[in-house]
Amino acid sequence: MSEHAITRRGFLARSAIGAAAVAGAGYVGFEAWKQAHADEPGELKKAGHSLCNSCSSKCGFTAYTRDGRLATMIGDADHPYCDGTLCARGYGYASIAYSEDRLTDPLKKQGDGTFAAIDWDTAYAEIAEKVQKIIDEDGPQALVMIQDPRPSGSFYTARFMQALGSANTYTHGVACNMSKVSGMTQAIGAGDFTSDVENAKMVMFIGRSYADGIRPASLHAMQKGYQKGAKFVMVDPRYNNSMHFCTEWVPIRPGTDLALILAMAHVLITEGTYDAEYIAANTVGFEDWAARVESCTPEWAEEITGVPAETIERLAHEMWEAAPQSSIEQGWRAATGCAHQNSGETARALCLFNTLLGCWGLEGGAYTPPSQSAGKLTDPKFAAPAKPEAKIIGAAEYPLSASSMGVSTYALSQIPEGAVKGVFFYQSNCVAGYSNPVQLAEFVEAAELSVAIDVQMTETCQACQYVLPDTCYLERTEVPEFVGGKVPVVSLRDQVIEKVHPNTRPVDQIFTELAEACGVGQYFQFTVEELGDAQLQTLGLSLEQLREQGTITFPEKALKYAPKTTWGTADKKVHFTSEACEKAGFPASPGWLEPQVMPGDGQFRLIGGKQTIHTHTQTANIPNLMEITKKYGLERIWMNAQVAEEMGIQDGDEVEVSSETYTGTTRVHVTNRIEPTSIYLPSHYGCSVPEQRTAYQVGLRQMDFVPFHIEPGYGGTMSQETLVTVKKVGA
Amino acid sequence: MTRYGMLINTRECIGCYACRTACQRQNGLEADIDFIRYEEIETGTFPVVGLECVPIQCMHCEDAPCAKVCPTGATYVTDDGIVRVHEERCIGCKYCMAACPYQVRVHNPRTGVVDKCRFCTVEASEDNPMCSCVEACVTGCRIFGDLDDPESDVSRAIVELNAQPIMGDLTKAKIFYVR
Repeated sequence: MSEHAITRRGFLARSAIGAAAVAGAGYVGFEAWKQAHADEPGELKKAGHSLCNSCSSKCGFTAYTRDGRLATMIGDADHPYCDGTLCARGYGYASIAYSEDRLTDPLKKQGDGTFAAIDWDTAYAEIAEKVQKIIDEDGPQALVMIQDPRPSGSFYTARFMQALGSANTYTHGVACNMSKVSGMTQAIGAGDFTSDVENAKMVMFIGRSYADGIRPASLHAMQKGYQKGAKFVMVDPRYNNSMHFCTEWVPIRPGTDLALILAMAHVLITEGTYDAEYIAANTVGFEDWAARVESCTPEWAEEITGVPAETIERLAHEMWEAAPQSSIEQGWRAATGCAHQNSGETARALCLFNTLLGCWGLEGGAYTPPSQSAGKLTDPKFAAPAKPEAKIIGAAEYPLSASSMGVSTYALSQIPEGAVKGVFFYQSNCVAGYSNPVQLAEFVEAAELSVAIDVQMTETCQACQYVLPDTCYLERTEVPEFVGGKVPVVSLRDQVIEKVHPNTRPVDQIFTELAEACGVGQYFQFTVEELGDAQLQTLGLSLEQLREQGTITFPEKALKYAPKTTWGTADKKVHFTSEACEKAGFPASPGWLEPQVMPGDGQFRLIGGKQTIHTHTQTANIPNLMEITKKYGLERIWMNAQVAEEMGIQDGDEVEVSSETYTGTTRVHVTNRIEPTSIYLPSHYGCSVPEQRTAYQVGLRQMDFVPFHIEPGYGGTMSQETLVTVKKVGA
Repeated sequence: MTRYGMLINTRECIGCYACRTACQRQNGLEADIDFIRYEEIETGTFPVVGLECVPIQCMHCEDAPCAKVCPTGATYVTDDGIVRVHEERCIGCKYCMAACPYQVRVHNPRTGVVDKCRFCTVEASEDNPMCSCVEACVTGCRIFGDLDDPESDVSRAIVELNAQPIMGDLTKAKIFYVR
């Protein structure tokens, strides 16, 4: 519990002791103890700091409770993602603690496919036995872990797998920003950069909306930049909610952003308007790219993108006029992240275009955020298990994929092949979200061992043999979380409410006990609090301090604007050309690469995207959030108004949507906010788990329409490489 | 006199629903009880499009039609201009719902009470942190304060931004909109 609570209790306890001492007993009776530990009914109490779990940003907030229940949440001003405010999901998702659909006991799948509760010891013993059998017969590389990174989850899952001797710890990256991280790494040796949106003169956003997939600090920066008069250009098939702070919408055909970037590069290079000095000093391979984009004229790109040539030319000119206070924002999940066959190459080209602008490291340009990490722990009890010699499965097949994320979908596809025998999931609804759900469920169901750890029954849990109930994020303390930013910080998810369901266990405890059962308990001889404190002590801090403050900044590490002249690549330079890309079958420098599919007559590309109130498939079962969906019809697909008129479809009509893998019906939202070749299906719906009573069967699930396939080289899930037809039901 | 009111700058509103879920958390409301309704207004034809989001909630009218029609006096206007509901006096007749031109009275099927925005944010202070709509708004598009104090942030902003009640003088509403 929080420092504040403890302090107050301590004070009361001391008072009680004082009173007892006066009475001459020197002994605290049960009643006095109970009184000291009782909260005054109805009083608002600061319960401590936590980190939101409604999306991967993990914004810091202060929790206040009333009678032990979460009452008020206040965003922490020092947290670099939160910047003092939370989003709609943060307030709504917190009610997961009290959800009627929580998992409350360990479950084991029965012969008839239903689950029955078992006790923890039995679950551990049975899982450990299967783990041992797999290791004995096939070695530890036949075990796979898939997790959506959270502070404790990241630490404990990787350590557990490493202790067993497996290199196969994956994140959700394939369905998120895998291609972005991987493509950028080829160009600049870093998987992330930040456009200095607040101070820029111009920023082009490609398929990323700060006002839909909200990270409050990013939205604040955008708002400030807009108010200062910056040009913000939104390249997106949809007129998304960020348009409130944008100066121009460029409705592009999805999957063609690479052509736009290449054509803008063509304009700058042929006109000689680029930072030649920066390029000469800090890059390699420029001539190769210059030659490659020679044929990528704006007229050529207009044919592909649907964006008029004069617009492309003007945007290139404007970007250069604003340089170096201009950049293309990195994107996240869509164009550059995991959507298309060319996502990785788009990410690479995007970095190279920014290099032409000479914007790296400069105020108003783009920077790589500084970060702080804990030092090496000297106490032998924290000594890490030896790093497995093997490489993560999929690294050879997808040589450009970031090994920090791993191609989890490929790893699962190796279950029927016999190369993978056991799979663990931690807070990952992989089956519903990472690729085609039918295919993924088949893979998981074929495993000799499958274990999911979560707070509610999911499609992934359903496919597994064992389901272990985690505590929710408000009910546990986690490993400190280091976050990069203009001012890097360390922040803490602390326990702010008591456990609601007595038989749930926090992730650190589950993996510690599971490790014990699997015979590798020697690597887990500490509590999460001891680990956190030890990490913080390496920086002259303590867990107690972090508990009190929630977020501690490292101002001495703050970003200092200066031209960036060393990069994370082997020779510290920006790479217009990449040998690794060439080896993987791509051109040395990025050229045009067609999306895998393009819509023909009567076909549309099915695109996804976040809504402000949901994250992946994890929030749809939250009644506070789903009520908004239902009230405003947010589960509907979007169709361009003119197309709808031609097809005789009206707003609210029931329509049938079909792809090569799936057919489903839903209602349609007819709007001018989408370009004509796209159908937008929000990525949060279509839950097929009856135990999620709020989310079950509301709307359609994007991934049902997507075949199981993987982006060559980069490993992304190609979530938008699918075509659909739409027809009015009954027509 | 103190006369509380609010400004909502729809040019800064991104329609993210944070005020709704924060309000529910702050006021302990059930999932289907919403004090804030959203009107999303799309204009234009592809590709020239406009978008406005207008959050609507109890306007705390000086001439509150809901208070006038309430047969039990459950809905009343406080001295500082906040329209409130005595829960125990409300008989759930829904007259107020019919009378409200903004359609922001909310019937709670479980308690029978017809509820609404309470301008709870008036209680927010450093000692009493709140995730009210005003405090929680991600873009800070709401300003709350005393309309009778010409120096208050809200009074100044209303003048500066020419904010207007959504239906003019109809009910002497105390939420002013920048559109």
